[in-house]
Amino acid sequence: MVEKFLFLFLPYLSVAIFLAGSIYRILVWSRTPVPLRIVTTPAPRTTGGVIWRLIGDALWFPSLWKADRFLWAAGLAFHILLWLVLLRHLRYFLYPVPGWVEGLQTPGLYAGYLIPIPLALLFARRLADEKVLFISIMGDFFSLFLLLSITLSGTLLGVFFRTYLVEVKAYGLSLISLHPVLPAAHWLFGLHFLLVMVLLIYFPFSKLMHSGGLFFSPTRNQRANFETRFVNPWDFPVAYNPQNLWPPEKYHKELAQSKEGKKE
Amino acid sequence: MKVPLPIPSIRIGASQRQRCHPCKEKDMVKIDLPREKARDWKEAMLKKMAEVLDKYRSVRLFMDICVKCGACADKCQFFLGTGDPKNMPVARADLFRKVYKRYFTLGGKIWGRANEAEELTEEILQDWYTYFYQCSECRRCSVFCPYGIDTAEITMAAREVMAAAGIATKYVTEVVAKVYDTGNNLGIWPPAWKDNCAFLEEDLKDTEGLDLKFPVDEVGAEILLIPPSADNFVNTNTMIGYAKMFHAAGISWTTSTYCNEGGNFGLFLNYANLKKVNNRILEAARDLKVKKIYWGE
Repeated sequence: MVEKFLFLFLPYLSVAIFLAGSIYRILVWSRTPVPLRIVTTPAPRTTGGVIWRLIGDALWFPSLWKADRFLWAAGLAFHILLWLVLLRHLRYFLYPVPGWVEGLQTPGLYAGYLIPIPLALLFARRLADEKVLFISIMGDFFSLFLLLSITLSGTLLGVFFRTYLVEVKAYGLSLISLHPVLPAAHWLFGLHFLLVMVLLIYFPFSKLMHSGGLFFSPTRNQRANFETRFVNPWDFPVAYNPQNLWPPEKYHKELAQSKEGKKE
Repeated sequence: MKVPLPIPSIRIGASQRQRCHPCKEKDMVKIDLPREKARDWKEAMLKKMAEVLDKYRSVRLFMDICVKCGACADKCQFFLGTGDPKNMPVARADLFRKVYKRYFTLGGKIWGRANEAEELTEEILQDWYTYFYQCSECRRCSVFCPYGIDTAEITMAAREVMAAAGIATKYVTEVVAKVYDTGNNLGIWPPAWKDNCAFLEEDLKDTEGLDLKFPVDEVGAEILLIPPSADNFVNTNTMIGYAKMFHAAGISWTTSTYCNEGGNFGLFLNYANLKKVNNRILEAARDLKVKKIYWGE
C-alpha cells in the first residue's frame, strides 16, 4: 500500500504540485506591475545586454563574486554539480538515451560524489557565521538538509547498495508513459525517490523559487535607457491639499498679476 | 590603497533606541496622511500592504526569492556602523517578510513561527519604525545580491505602509509639508527667495563689479533652474556660479518660487508625495513656458 502510494501516485502528485505552484508564482510575478525604473547601475542599455547580464547572473554569479568569495565558490560549485547530476538522471527517463546524456554519465557520476562537499560547506557557513546564523530560518536548514540527504542517498545507491538499474529505468519509462509499474528496488531507492518528491512539493512554496525569480527581478531585467520615458501603469493624477499656503492656484494668480504689472 | 573596513560582530539591539522623532499633526494634514497613528492601525497597514504587494513587483518578488545567503549582510553602512544585526539588509527586509508570510502566504499561514511568519503586533511595528528609518535607501545591497534584491524598495514599501496608518517621522513629513507651503525643503518663502536673489545681485555688484541678474518667475525664459534650495541661502557661491555660467553662455534663465527645490523627500515617505513634489517641477516649467529644465541635486 505504502509502496503503491510512493511509486504509483506520489510522483504525479508532486510533479503536478511542482508545475502548478511554480507556474502560479511566475504568473503572479509577471502580472504584478513595475511602476518605476529601478535598475541597478551600471546597467546595460540594450535588450541584448540585459539578456547577457541575466545569463551571467544565472550561470556564474558576478554579484556573489563581488560580495563574498567563499560563498561564491561554494554556491557556484553546488549549482554546477547539481546541473550535472540532474542532466545525468535524464537517462532513466529517455529511450534511446541521447549521445550528450551518454557523455554526461561519467562527469555526472563524479559530480554526485562531490556535491555533498559544497552543501556541507554552505551548511557549515550558516552555523559558523554569526550574521548568517542570525538570519537563518528553519526553511534554510531544511532545504540544505533535504539536498544533502538526497545526494548522500543517491551516492550510496550508486556505490554501496547498487540498485538494479534496468528495473529503475523500466520504472522511469513507465512513469513517463503514464502506466507506472512497481519497481523491485532496494529500500534506499525508495527513500531517495521519496526525498526527491518532497523536494518537488516543497519547491514552489519556498525560497528555492529564486531560480525562476531572478529573471523577473526588476533591478536586473530593466535597461538603463534613461532617455526614454518610463510610464507607470497605475499612474494617478496629483491633487493638492487646500491647506497648503503655496498651492498652484495661488501661484497662478500671483504670476498673472505680475505679468499684468509688467505690461503697464 | 584600499583599506577594508573591519566588520563588526553582531550586537543585538545596539541601535534599537536610536529612533526618529515622530511626525506632527500640523504636517500630516498638509500631506494628506492620517493626523496621527490610526486607532485601527493594524487593519490600515495590512490593507496598504496588500495594495503595495499588488502594485510593486519588486516588493512581492523580493519577499519571495531571498535565499538568506548573507551576501548583503556586511555591505550596509548602518550595520557596519552599529553592529545591530537588524540593520543587515536581509534582516531589515525580514521585518517586512515576517508579516508578509503571516498574512499573504500559504506556508506562513500553515507553519507560522517555524516559517518565520509573525503577527503584526505593536512590537513588530516598533521594529519597523526603528529599523526602516535606519535605512538611507542607498541601494548598495542590491549590487551584491545575486538576485538584485533592493532593500530600498522594501524600506519604501514599509514606510508607505506605515504612513497609511499615520506613522511617520517628523523630519520627513515636515520637509514635505514645507515644499507645499513654500516651494522648497528649507521653508524659504517666495518673498524671501526674491529678496535673497536681489541681495545676491547687489552683493555681486559690490564685490566683483558684475552686473548679473538672478531672475525669479520670469515667464518665457529658456531654462528653468531647479537648484537645491540651500544654494540661495547657505551655499550662495553656487548660486552665483549658476548666474555667471548662464551669463557667459548667454542663455536666459529663471528660478521659480513655486518650485525651487531639487531634492525630493517624498522618496522617504510615500509614492503619492514623491509624485506630488516632482510634479511641481513640471507645473512650474509649464507655467513659466520654459524650454528646458536644469535640475540640480
